[in-house]
Amino acid sequence: MTRGITRREFIRIGVVGAAAAVLTGCLPPRAWVVLEPYVRPPEEQLAGVATWYASTCRQCPAGCGIVVRIMNGRALKIEGNPEHPLNRGKLCARGQAGVQLLYHPDRLSGPAQQTQRGTRQFKSLSWNDALNLLYSKLQAAGSATAVWGDSTMSGHLADIFARYTKAISAPAPIFFDLYTLFNGYSVLSKTNQQLFGSSALPIYDLAHADVVFSFGADFLSAALSQTRYGVEYGAFRSQPLGKRGFLVQLEPRMTITGAKADRWHAIKPGAEGLIAQAIASIIADQKLGSVERQTRAQTVAARVDVNSVAAASGLSVDDLTNLARIFAAADHPIAIPGAALNGQNNVAQAASAVQALNIIAGNIAQPGGMGMSASAPAGLIKPTPSSFADAQALVEQMRAGRIQALLVHGANPAFDLPDKIGFADAVKNVPFVVSFAPIVDETARYADLILPDRTYLESWGYDVVAPSFGQPIVSGQQPVVTPVFDARATADVMLTVARGIPAAARALPYADEVAFLKETVAALGSGAAGGAGADVLWARFQQHGGWWQSTIPAATPLQSKITAPITVSSTQFQGDEKEYPYFLHLFLSDLLSDGRGAKLPWLQGSPDPMTTIAWQTWVEMHPETAQKLGITSAQVEVGFQRGTLISDVVQVTSPFGAIEAPVYAHPGIRPDTIAIPIGQGHTDDGRYARDRGANALRLVGAQADATGSSLLWAGVRVKIARTGRQISLATFEFTPGVTRGFINAAFPGQ
Amino acid sequence: MRATMKSFRVRLIAFGIFVVVILLLAGGVFVVQAQAQATPQQPVPFPHVNMVQSGIPCLFCHADAIRSPTAGIPSVEKCMGCHKFIATNTPAIQKVADYYQRGQPIPWVRVNRLPRFVYFSHQVHVVAGALNCERCHGDVGRMTEFQPVARMTMGWCLNCHNAQPEADRLKDCVVCHR
Repeated sequence: MTRGITRREFIRIGVVGAAAAVLTGCLPPRAWVVLEPYVRPPEEQLAGVATWYASTCRQCPAGCGIVVRIMNGRALKIEGNPEHPLNRGKLCARGQAGVQLLYHPDRLSGPAQQTQRGTRQFKSLSWNDALNLLYSKLQAAGSATAVWGDSTMSGHLADIFARYTKAISAPAPIFFDLYTLFNGYSVLSKTNQQLFGSSALPIYDLAHADVVFSFGADFLSAALSQTRYGVEYGAFRSQPLGKRGFLVQLEPRMTITGAKADRWHAIKPGAEGLIAQAIASIIADQKLGSVERQTRAQTVAARVDVNSVAAASGLSVDDLTNLARIFAAADHPIAIPGAALNGQNNVAQAASAVQALNIIAGNIAQPGGMGMSASAPAGLIKPTPSSFADAQALVEQMRAGRIQALLVHGANPAFDLPDKIGFADAVKNVPFVVSFAPIVDETARYADLILPDRTYLESWGYDVVAPSFGQPIVSGQQPVVTPVFDARATADVMLTVARGIPAAARALPYADEVAFLKETVAALGSGAAGGAGADVLWARFQQHGGWWQSTIPAATPLQSKITAPITVSSTQFQGDEKEYPYFLHLFLSDLLSDGRGAKLPWLQGSPDPMTTIAWQTWVEMHPETAQKLGITSAQVEVGFQRGTLISDVVQVTSPFGAIEAPVYAHPGIRPDTIAIPIGQGHTDDGRYARDRGANALRLVGAQADATGSSLLWAGVRVKIARTGRQISLATFEFTPGVTRGFINAAFPGQ
Repeated sequence: MRATMKSFRVRLIAFGIFVVVILLLAGGVFVVQAQAQATPQQPVPFPHVNMVQSGIPCLFCHADAIRSPTAGIPSVEKCMGCHKFIATNTPAIQKVADYYQRGQPIPWVRVNRLPRFVYFSHQVHVVAGALNCERCHGDVGRMTEFQPVARMTMGWCLNCHNAQPEADRLKDCVVCHR
């Protein structure tokens, strides 16, 4: 029997509670409030009246427009910019959490020099001394300078870095982070280059589609443009005349998009490409859909044995035929390649096979079809995510001692790369490492000098939106508050240093970054906001949050360049099947994304939408698998801890490494697969990220796929061992008998 | 018999709770009243009388009163605008100068309070209502130490709202509680 509260206890608690409530409730809430006036009042601020500034979110590379509410000079709330054509006033959780980056307690104030790397013993120095040090080192390094940036870098800074490295004949900067690697930016552009002769990112017009086949694309989570796809998804589900789009999700582990799908197929990891090929093949063989579709299918699809694909994918032949029928019969079907494709050895083929379905559907550059992101207006720069091979090549250059100075901005390669790549070893051979991180992260621990940059809410900049849906958008970024800490814009640091290096000085003749940006914005000319003259255009750019045209240009027609049918080889997995019996399925955390969100407590504390776990790393596993391995993950049914989920901690071992994490058992995953989110396991990056959970990248090796676009992070097998320890999981809304019953009803027979 | 004893004890306990709650409530009300009427100690003694007698209008320092819900506390820079030259040798001004040098705001203690569920705007009272500051804040021009003169309760507000030509509109709940 459960132990209830006795009447006596109830009364006791009641009296104490009432007294506490009365005492606190009666005190005037502002009794201890002091009125702090400004020391020097900023302009445009009026006490008691909020000011909203338009800027750009930089929590991921999508480039959503934001408006920030400022009260008495402090940023209080971030919302989506309703005028912005990309996100149309919407914003995701990561965007909302931006204010916590601005006011993070572990932000550095002023430059810091680390006398011995890895010790975290920092000596603070003045900006003048720091700039002189940077200048002398960069001058000495000459063309042996390398820049490692990330995909969220402002266009003007990427431009300055690119002009700088070009002027001193150094290799071009690389822009590499885990977010773009997992979402396959490099893979998608290369595939599009091959299929259509355009290296732009693909866009999918879900709003006008009626059937969407998502091959593991979690477009409602940390994917290419989550917020815009949220808007598109809304329109997809509520079309005119009550029409409702039909979503089919094919993936080994249920994502939040999968949870919303009309049909969810738990396919075998690595089977996405094969299934796409089989669907194309069935359309061609069984003459499904319109004649045009049949003809296109016959040229594009290589014939496959449907029975063998069925065996390799975990789908039945009936399922495959049925899917082919649905796809071929739809007015506006779309196929979207997902993240997991990008980590497989057959990545190029698999991505092409999925895109080939769009060619068969005849939806390329059509409403309700696949299109291409608009190219950047002339003179503007979008940091193009580098391929994995580029990052690997730079690490090898570092190891060989060919890099004398490494500048790291925004990226965190020490965390983002698997241990096997050996960044930590390679960086030892670089005599001078500079980090521009505002908070000491894993990479900054290897730095000799940290020149903290301002966070995006204190910075100038612009972002060429990619993927942009139908029209070129340049999103504007401006400081919404006066800088909170003694940080300096990296663009200004580079412009200052460049003045002393003659070749760079000629390439960058600008007084400061604002002068540089003003020139760039004036060159854009008049957009939807109108205006003429450099000053007016600059003001409108800040006021409306960017530049875009009021009319959407007609889509450029695209021609398929496929001459031979696309064949997909079966996915190879690393690790022997007998020794490592389970497939490892890694995914980006919806909230922490590739780990950059882990330093913000709002994101740490927000429950994961599928499991409701917060602040932890977990190993997702089918209940049958857990049972087979003797792993318990159960709720306490009685007593004080009633409802708490207590789970076994397991060791997950791959051929490359091992991590430990508690198990979360649920039926939304294949029994032969285990899934682990990316994002936790930081050894640094502020107090909220440090020493929390495990970094699942330890389980991944250093091998690239054949085209060099991607790392083989999805083709790994693992084994599971119990550690004998148990911990409670920080879950939400999980009461005995209720949720469990719901899941059992939703997945009969699982 | 046992049942009666038990119910008697329950009643006694309930009565006890009732008495305790009433006492606490009364105590709370007393604390609030005392606080509302208290004259707090300020970090820097600030005699409004000196300013007003030097001919400085209220809006010179509390400039936001005509354009914002709050009247605004002048910035330390504004204090120093005059006190770089005036009365620089007094300890109080030296304290202000010290705050300015250190770049620290002066932590003034709030004197007049309204509960958070009241929407009040200085702007409409001063501009549309054409009220003098003294009407609510008392004869600040004679105060050596700023102190509250009105309790600023709902009845006090309504006394004035009722007397207005537009009383019907101004008596509406949502005028202040919105």
